[in-house]
Amino acid sequence: MARFLARRLATAAATLLLITAVVFLLVHLAPGDPLAEGAGEAATHPLSPEARASLRAQYRLDRPVLVQYVLWLSDLVRGDLGRSILDRRPVAETIASRLGLTLTLNLLALVVMVLCAVPLGALGALRPGSVWDRGGALATYLLYALPVFWAALLLQSALSVRLGWLPLAGVRSSGFEYLGGLDRLVDRAAHLALPVACLSYGGLAYLSRFVRASLLDARAESWRAVRARGASKIAVLYRHGFRQAGVPMLTLAGFLLPGLVGGSVLVETIFAIPGLGRLFVEAAFGRDVPVVMGLTLLSAAATLAGIFLADVLYAVIDPRIRRTRA
Amino acid sequence: MHDKPRPSTRGACALIAVLACAAGCSGGEIEPTTNVVRALMPQDPASLSLIGKPDRYSEIVAYQITDSLVQFDPGMVLVPRVAESWELSADHRTVTFHVRDGVRWQDGRPVTAEDVLFTVRQVRDPLVESPFFSALFEDLESIEAPDARTVRARFLRARPDMLEAWRVPLVPSHLGEEGAALLTGSFSRHPVGCGPFRFVRQRPGEEIVLEANDDYWDGRPHLDRLVFRIFPDERTGWEALLEGDVDIMPVNPELWREARASERGKRLASFSYYRLNVWQITWNHRRGPPLSDPGVRVALTMALDRRKFADNVLYGLAEPAVTTYHPQLRWTDPGIEPWPHDPAGARRRLEQAGWVDRDGDGVRERDGKPLRLDLMIIASSQAIVDQMAAWIQQSWAEIGVDAGIDKLEWQMLRERRNAGEFDAAMFGISFTPTPDQWEVYHSTAETNYAGFEDAEVDRLLDAGRHAFDEDERRRIYWRLQRRLHELEPIACLLYFASPVLHDRRLVGIVPSPLDEYRHTQGPRTWRWLAAGE
Repeated sequence: MARFLARRLATAAATLLLITAVVFLLVHLAPGDPLAEGAGEAATHPLSPEARASLRAQYRLDRPVLVQYVLWLSDLVRGDLGRSILDRRPVAETIASRLGLTLTLNLLALVVMVLCAVPLGALGALRPGSVWDRGGALATYLLYALPVFWAALLLQSALSVRLGWLPLAGVRSSGFEYLGGLDRLVDRAAHLALPVACLSYGGLAYLSRFVRASLLDARAESWRAVRARGASKIAVLYRHGFRQAGVPMLTLAGFLLPGLVGGSVLVETIFAIPGLGRLFVEAAFGRDVPVVMGLTLLSAAATLAGIFLADVLYAVIDPRIRRTRA
Repeated sequence: MHDKPRPSTRGACALIAVLACAAGCSGGEIEPTTNVVRALMPQDPASLSLIGKPDRYSEIVAYQITDSLVQFDPGMVLVPRVAESWELSADHRTVTFHVRDGVRWQDGRPVTAEDVLFTVRQVRDPLVESPFFSALFEDLESIEAPDARTVRARFLRARPDMLEAWRVPLVPSHLGEEGAALLTGSFSRHPVGCGPFRFVRQRPGEEIVLEANDDYWDGRPHLDRLVFRIFPDERTGWEALLEGDVDIMPVNPELWREARASERGKRLASFSYYRLNVWQITWNHRRGPPLSDPGVRVALTMALDRRKFADNVLYGLAEPAVTTYHPQLRWTDPGIEPWPHDPAGARRRLEQAGWVDRDGDGVRERDGKPLRLDLMIIASSQAIVDQMAAWIQQSWAEIGVDAGIDKLEWQMLRERRNAGEFDAAMFGISFTPTPDQWEVYHSTAETNYAGFEDAEVDRLLDAGRHAFDEDERRRIYWRLQRRLHELEPIACLLYFASPVLHDRRLVGIVPSPLDEYRHTQGPRTWRWLAAGE
């Protein structure tokens, strides 16, 4: 098992290196210059050539791309992600300050997704082909097809503007500092409700179908025997269905992990949430290499960690995988 | 103006609440929620260091936190601020400023000549990335402080616009760091100035909070707090304005019209101003005919019905432009009319230049070469750019000019413009309130992207840099504008008005060609009407 783990880990590290190298190259191949003037307008006083040269030297933009990459790597090894070219703040600090919010949003969205998808999938698996099964599938597919920017605006105009139940945007009310602990919690929750709804509905179709299929697989194998011993349908579903279906569902979690650190640009922009999605877009448009690289590293690491986790879980559950791959 | 925080309780479920805790609940201070203005900002300022990396939003915030020796009044005339007076030497190369007595930094220390020297030294450091001011100080020969309240600066060359450089936001020498550290150190996280508002906190992507400086030398602002709220999405910002979560915001023409038409917009007031900006098409003169021919260039402008476009598409929030000189400045010749919409005249000019449609395919030719050009435009999220391009393409087709549209991301467009790889490029040009536009038009200027060359224009641009008599300067620039208008080296299309919506009860807002923030009557003169007023 140790050898298997070491091997998987080495592959993951090599992949990570490759991803960062490719992204680094791509950012540099893209036309444009992080030291250019503002978006869409030309100023009558651009940077002087000398100022440009000394800035390029400061940001190492005057070195060959390969050298820049190696320097970036050597900084990384020392735990330094560098500083943003656009606002000169340390990249690690900027990402850390926004990670909490994005993580919270995505985690909440995941919880909501699971809470809705598991019962839906179970319902479908209990009576495959029934009205419930088909209706649920239809509803979730319709949601899947709903564009998020449209849904977001619709929800805003209905729940915030018309009914006034939820705040329109932002992550806290003005005067948030006035509130006591519980009120703050409620205020924060109210602000996150609509973004969470927008982030979660699209995945329902996928997840509920996945749950349904896993349960049906399990059912085909053993339900009949258990039912023959006189257990109720629900008990069977719980004790046997979910336990057996749990294996593939657990591995699915490995693939959901990277989604947790990926911000949604549309949702964050519409709801004025300072998350990682907006940060990435701003950095990419500004050719802010250090920030783009920091975020790439984060999401690539999360993806690889997810895959690694899934691999390990498989191996733990099924020794055959361990043997054939090791 | 906002009574109580409104925690919306319905709709929030306990589970979300528990998990939301992870997102962090911090703070604890008590802060006022009345007599506050929440102004919308579409993005974070690039820096809070007052002088480093100054984009528009950094500058707006900087001028609230700190002050400068001189500042533009709303009519764009430089008036004394921290400098109570100044003298120019006979050769116009030396200026002596007298720092006003009793101006204090927000930590209580007096503002001295030493602070001015420190600030100038920092903006001239390329690592502080203040290209605008460092360019204005390029000719500085020496600067000294004979005593604590006197600054004497000598320039290599005499420049009539020299005073504009002293609009640089002042940084305290005892707090600001040197060079690149100014952008990265503690000062940039907690800037201190001598302006009407003091910095309280920034939450990146969310808000910047300022509070009134009770000690401000020109009187405490009426507001207790000024909060900049970051809303990247205009629609959301607009709903927030209607809900009272935002008190003032710049809007696009669509929202401006919606506000006037809708019932919900009744509680809002609006104003608009022309910014120091013109939308134009830069022609590439270096590629030779047809665009190197002034007759063709004028014809292309005359083909456009700019008034109709401004009225129909921009709801009247634009004016046909004449040159790159702002219509409301004293340097601008009010006697020049924009080229009229005259398709017949345009066709005539093209024929005079030898461009005739002989084969009847709708496109003119000369020497077998069709009259074809590519117009580079910015791939923008704003529909207006595409609408303009479509309108221009169609108008030109009507006079027998075949134009292709090349839609490029801004960085890409810049690169091709700078390399001279284009026929025509449409983008906005910003300029300063001072009349010197040497960089745009002089044949030796690196930023003369059109590759325009005219001896008379060069002569006038040079003369303007050496004219110290105000009437003489005006005469020079008026003549320059006539010459530019005749030759149309770039097609100045439209001055766009910038509409701003705000709560009707918020009064005292003074617009200027810069905006409602960056002049002597900025937010410090804003106030809320009392109930019943």
